[in-house]
Amino acid sequence: MIVIFVGVTIVFIVPRLTPMDPVQSIISRVTALVDTDPRAVEKLVETLTDLYGLRGSLLEQYLRFWKHLLSGDLGPSLTMFPASVVDIIKISLPWTIGLMTISTIIAWLLGIILGTLAGYFSNKRWSQILGTVVMCIYPIPYYIIALILVLLFAYLLPIFPLMGGASIGLKPSFSWSFITSLLKHGFLPAISLVIGTIGWIFMSQRALISRLVASDFIVFAETASLPRKKILSYLIRNSMLPQITDLALSLGGIFSGAIITEQVFSYPGIGVVLYSAILQGDFNLMMGISIFSIIGIATAALVLDLIYPLLDPRIRYK
Amino acid sequence: MRSNPLSIVKVEELKAYYVSESYGINSVVKAVDDVSFEIYEDEILGIAGESGCGKTTLLKTLLGTIKPPLSIFGGRIFYRIEDEYRDILSFREGELRDIRWKIVSYIPQGSMSVLNPVRKIKDTFLDFMEAHRPDISKSEFDSLVKNYLGALGLPTEVLDSYPHQLSGGMRQRVTIALSTIFKPKIVLADEPTTALDVVVQRGILQLLRKIQREEKNTLVVVSHDMGVHARISDRVGIMYAGKIIEIGNTEEIYTNPLHPYTRYLISSLPKIGDKAYRTGVPGSPPSLSNLPAGCRFQDRCPEIKDICREEEPSLVEVNDNHKVACFLVSKGEENYES
Ligand SMILES: Nc1ncnc2c1ncn2[C@@H]1O[C@H](COP(=O)(O)OP(=O)(O)OP(=O)(O)O)[C@@H](O)[C@H]1O
Ligand SMILES: [Mg+2]
Repeated sequence: MIVIFVGVTIVFIVPRLTPMDPVQSIISRVTALVDTDPRAVEKLVETLTDLYGLRGSLLEQYLRFWKHLLSGDLGPSLTMFPASVVDIIKISLPWTIGLMTISTIIAWLLGIILGTLAGYFSNKRWSQILGTVVMCIYPIPYYIIALILVLLFAYLLPIFPLMGGASIGLKPSFSWSFITSLLKHGFLPAISLVIGTIGWIFMSQRALISRLVASDFIVFAETASLPRKKILSYLIRNSMLPQITDLALSLGGIFSGAIITEQVFSYPGIGVVLYSAILQGDFNLMMGISIFSIIGIATAALVLDLIYPLLDPRIRYK
Repeated sequence: MRSNPLSIVKVEELKAYYVSESYGINSVVKAVDDVSFEIYEDEILGIAGESGCGKTTLLKTLLGTIKPPLSIFGGRIFYRIEDEYRDILSFREGELRDIRWKIVSYIPQGSMSVLNPVRKIKDTFLDFMEAHRPDISKSEFDSLVKNYLGALGLPTEVLDSYPHQLSGGMRQRVTIALSTIFKPKIVLADEPTTALDVVVQRGILQLLRKIQREEKNTLVVVSHDMGVHARISDRVGIMYAGKIIEIGNTEEIYTNPLHPYTRYLISSLPKIGDKAYRTGVPGSPPSLSNLPAGCRFQDRCPEIKDICREEEPSLVEVNDNHKVACFLVSKGEENYES
């Protein structure tokens, strides 16, 4: 709770410290386009100041900000006026959550399984080959991977669509055509995210496992001829504490979106929205998205606190 | 002691070395070097010797858990399996897995952390049961484990605990239970009492002895502590720098030690009513990767002779079941004062 409070306060203060004045920037944009009567401009300034919650002292603004926030009102977007921030987020967030949750979970599961096998069978040939392959892919910057995928599978070999979250004109529904279109559009971005994140998970898991393999209780279980399956389950179970932490924090962090992924694949998610909000100085929208991501991370941390004792009996809360 | 005990294990000229390569230079640590001895049915054999002399390595080879950097450079280890002596060093991995816990089991060194920290004791027992006695039903399992733990002086609540909730002594008892519940013919215990306080130590030793006496199986106890062997071993083998340098019945070893190293070990034991300051063995053992020619004890020996620097003494029988590897003895010098 305290985390959320502090985070939101920071989100409130930071835009007010920047030298940019959102009202003036709108005014200058408007007056640059059309000649306007100075009285009308003054009127406009008044309304805008009101609208953006910039009236009164800082304390008054702050209290009003909380009041609106608690009633679920994040104000209007400054650039996509009159759409409200909440509406914009409501439209784009499901795309991001869907894409990121699925690819994060796939990357995590795959990374854990492969990392465990590679760590346990570390002197087998295939394990070393796998390690080398991952080592080669790992240092490639993510946007290069994404671009290569787009070039190969959407441009040169047009197997997958170049842009969008689903074919235009299709209404979100549980119809067969919508779901296949969704999967087709999501495939490349998801694969790029999996490739981009699996390297780290694989390598950290392999390192964890090769340390565990030498630990007394695994050596004992091996000596006692417990079956391989059992030993692998001992290993995975004992590596879960750090890995679940990693997973929960990445899931909590998806609210700020995958900016690069969504740009490269023109995916209609929150990352694209955030990117343009930053470019155009849309403070309300930036604040709105930041608040969501703060809540996301804080929730993840809370969930972790609750499940730690289940993962490791040595952790107990009084 | 029977005059002609039946051996259950015969170790012949066993060589087990650690080979490691760093920066192109091979280093060979001769942790077990040309060792021969027998382990009898229904006995407690103690293995003594200071840290790093190869005791744990010897047990690992007896268990057939030989993994790089450790490898076998010669010798044989015969187990009597269904009245036939079979060399386990020629076994395939699957056969080795089969003899462990059925014929030979192990209580590891530092067994404080040998239990899976995130599993209840009950579940660990279940895992062992599934691996070795899949024929046992769930209800049979419950009563078997409960009775066995009870017999080993453990309360039933232990089963629902995690390892970290148990004291060191209880954990050690649980480990002993895991290693003995299937009634293997041989139990190898590596330093079973080190890291426990004296009172708990005594309890563990009594427990091991009790299990052995009831099962009439074989217990091999490794300990650097000669006091432990005095208390429970029927026979003691003394290891020094990868070799067994003396072996014999406990009473014989303690009253008539022949090797100068054994004498040092025995004289460093505190005796009741004796307040004199006890010294350890002066000097330190040779490096196992760079052994001197001749006897390995030469640099610490108080009575060294020329031959000791040239030839390595071999283990010879001096007395009924008492063998020693020392030129002071084998070259007809048994009459020197002790
Ligand atoms: N994995 C390894 N690689 C290289 N050398 C090793 C390895 N394990 C043990 N050694 C060496 O082999 C020798 C014998 O080790 P071992 O563990 O058998 O001794 P020990 O008698 O059990 O000693 P302790 O009383 O300390 O347990 C030691 O010199 C040790 O340094
Ligand atoms: Mg040892």
